[in-house]
Amino acid sequence: MSTTLALPLPRAPRPVALLPLAVGLLGAAMLAGLLLGPARVGPDGLLAVLAHLFGAPLPAEYARDAAVLGVIRAPRVLLAALVGAGLGAAGAAMQGLFRNPLADPALIGVSSGAALAAVAAIVLGGTVFGAAAGLLGLWLLPLAAFLGGLGATLLMARLGSIGGVASVATLLLAGVAVNALAGALTGLLIFMADDRQVRDITFWTLGSLAGARWQHLPVILLLVGLPSLVLCALARPLNALLLGEAEAYHLGVPVESLKRLAIILAAIAVAAGVAFTGLIGFVGLVVPHLVRLAFGSDHRIVLPGAALLGAALLVLADLAARSLAAPAELPVGVVTALIGAPFFLWLLRRSHGGFGR
Amino acid sequence: MIAAQAITFRAGGRALLRDVSLELAPGQVTAVVGPNGAGKSTLLRVLSGELRPDQGVVSLDRRPIGAFHPRDLARRRAVVSQAVALAFPMTAREVVGLGRLPWHATPGAARDDAAIAAALDAVDAAGLAQQRYATLSGGERQRIQIARALAQIDGAPRPAALLLDEPTASLDVRHVGTVLRLLKRLAADGVAVMVVLHDLNEAAFVADQVAVVAGGWRNALGPAAAILRPPLLEAVYGVPFAGGEGALRPDFSNPASYRVPTA
Amino acid sequence: MIGRRVLPAALAGVFAAPHLARAGGGRLITVGGAVTETVFALGQGDSVVAVDSTSRFPAQAADLRQVGYLRALAPEGLIGLAPDLLLVSEEAGPPQALAVLRAAGAPLTLVPDQAGLPAILRKTEAIAAALRQDGTALARAVQDDWQALDAPIAALRPLRAIFVLSAARGAPLVSGRDTHADVMLRAAGASNVVRGFTGYRPLSAELAASLAPEAVVMMDHALAEAGGPDALLRIPALAVTPAAASRRIVAMDGAYMLNFGPRAAHARRDLAQRLHGAALPALPARSWT
Repeated sequence: MSTTLALPLPRAPRPVALLPLAVGLLGAAMLAGLLLGPARVGPDGLLAVLAHLFGAPLPAEYARDAAVLGVIRAPRVLLAALVGAGLGAAGAAMQGLFRNPLADPALIGVSSGAALAAVAAIVLGGTVFGAAAGLLGLWLLPLAAFLGGLGATLLMARLGSIGGVASVATLLLAGVAVNALAGALTGLLIFMADDRQVRDITFWTLGSLAGARWQHLPVILLLVGLPSLVLCALARPLNALLLGEAEAYHLGVPVESLKRLAIILAAIAVAAGVAFTGLIGFVGLVVPHLVRLAFGSDHRIVLPGAALLGAALLVLADLAARSLAAPAELPVGVVTALIGAPFFLWLLRRSHGGFGR
Repeated sequence: MIAAQAITFRAGGRALLRDVSLELAPGQVTAVVGPNGAGKSTLLRVLSGELRPDQGVVSLDRRPIGAFHPRDLARRRAVVSQAVALAFPMTAREVVGLGRLPWHATPGAARDDAAIAAALDAVDAAGLAQQRYATLSGGERQRIQIARALAQIDGAPRPAALLLDEPTASLDVRHVGTVLRLLKRLAADGVAVMVVLHDLNEAAFVADQVAVVAGGWRNALGPAAAILRPPLLEAVYGVPFAGGEGALRPDFSNPASYRVPTA
Repeated sequence: MIGRRVLPAALAGVFAAPHLARAGGGRLITVGGAVTETVFALGQGDSVVAVDSTSRFPAQAADLRQVGYLRALAPEGLIGLAPDLLLVSEEAGPPQALAVLRAAGAPLTLVPDQAGLPAILRKTEAIAAALRQDGTALARAVQDDWQALDAPIAALRPLRAIFVLSAARGAPLVSGRDTHADVMLRAAGASNVVRGFTGYRPLSAELAASLAPEAVVMMDHALAEAGGPDALLRIPALAVTPAAASRRIVAMDGAYMLNFGPRAAHARRDLAQRLHGAALPALPARSWT
């Protein structure tokens, strides 16, 4: 499983510099996400809304600005930041856990499971879930996606452990099998779907933050924010895993329970995020590498760094998604890949140039 | 302190260890020798607690090793495996620093920097600290892994144990000496040292007791001087050893002999 | 940073009830082909500032700002256009985005958007009401035109037909029950022979052979994408049909045929005429067709 060194070596690590830098970047991204966008809010509008926040009455001509900032952008920026952080942290943890630079949250079945359940909710929605659909309303799809993502991961973890021991290779293969199964069932549902539902499915799989509401944030805080924080606290044992599972055990890491914990936390964080946004690729895979390339492999840096950078990237990607095709909106998953992939390639090539000197 | 009693370990239907008993005592270096595939590494992994034996018990201070939390175990014994590769790039110093993991959030953590520096010094690798582990040679990596294990038991309550699997395999002669002398010093300091070796001269130099393993059996156990003698070695390795005192040296030009040339 | 400091719930309260709507006239965004057509037919086209990508008629609408596909609406993009009224087909989505628009106090009115004459009358009425206009004249005209065709079409021999949504790759997607195409086929004196499912599904060669449609109806751009009539009829599922033998393929503008807006009666007549090759009574020229 140590197939790694095709990746370029990072330059000398500067651990201290990263966290303030990433916090600053995230802050700037969130400020930009709040202040910019297709619905222009002038400085006067911003001041009026800020004053309103501290109790001043809101003049009627600024009602639209207040709605844009307070109802549309603020929850959206926060949702993007939290989901991006969850994807980044989960991706970093999975790469560390599987000791594989190509690992990402999709590997543990969470994306395909969430997609299967979301597609089921879209296609079968009213007919099969009937009463539940009426009761849950707009929560049906996120709830289904969350449970589907988590369920697929638990199934993978179950199938992948033999006699209580989850070997990385078996887990990977179980993940492949679960992904294939979920993909096949999703295909079956797509076959049953009508044209409009197929379109809905397509847009869901490309991701969007357009549905962000304040009501979602407590849930997201609990199910994405909290697991991401706990993942960051697993940095030391994940560091030991860099040497291999046997070495990690020798260093005092309870490897099996670490694997279970990290996989379940990552699954919760990703499934809950994806439940509200649809699939968003790239962040979980590449953001951890960006952090490693710049700052080394220490998970005490990589995990929080990937969370902060993932958050900033998704906030900026969403700003671009809102703005570039205004008044329409691009799928945010498309934007994350369009921004991230070339940047990653550039970093990769630049680091290769410096390698060995 | 670490004792294996009547260990049998099977994998894939094949017994890799059969009824092996071995005791690692503080203050002693135990060398394990034997042909390829004899079960030496398996024995080391069973003694470390990494592998559970199918029969028999491994105990640390008379308590079954499986009853320890891995972290408590890691504060008492360190292990150097063969050829460790990293999943993602790290510096040599970062690798050595991982040895301090069991002491995180304990008073011992205050010693981290000193322990890392001392460990690097002990294997003559202070100059490698900022190098990328992946750019190091095999021998340099081996010394870094030994340093990592040293850092792990630095400040550990005695008796502590150190298990090493062929730690000298890639080392140049000078560093073989460095490491073997280090193992002797550690034993003198109250550490129970177990080391798997191929070079019988190294075993003769470093060991207080030698265990010979072949075909999963522990064929012989005793003081180095009593064990490392031609008749026993011939039986184990299946090649004739020409007799005599002094160094045991192979004669590679003769396919069927491991000569012990006379002076 | 606003959100980090203040409890979300408190903020939601602060921004709970901005009312952005100003009734009647003003800036209008229409989403859904039939909605847009109806607004223009009611003479309110000059107020429309933006439309969705399914609103391609009348020609002025196609030149307006585009808010994207109706199932992927963008809350901020829509609010950024400062509309006084958002007239949105009930087909629009995603529902989460509509919920955000409502929460933001956007002046959102959902319009029923089904197929068939009663549905046309309902949507005309709803749109007229939202615009504070009198829609009776328009509704009456469409109803008269539609009903004028009832008897002549009923006199025709019902034709076995299928509607092919797309045939550009793989098996052709055909419309089953409960689709706009199904309603229009039956209104035009054809029987949609695909009864086994709702929505649009791929058609297998075996099923096509057993259904034996005498005519294939398509949207003109879908026929072009499929490579024209010859390429279409070489598709195995269609090659085996009587429609292929008689080369009876009718292609019409999709929005015209399936929107079920004010042009629906004229579309019904054109489709029936071309399907059956029979002359039907001419309908009065209307300003909106």
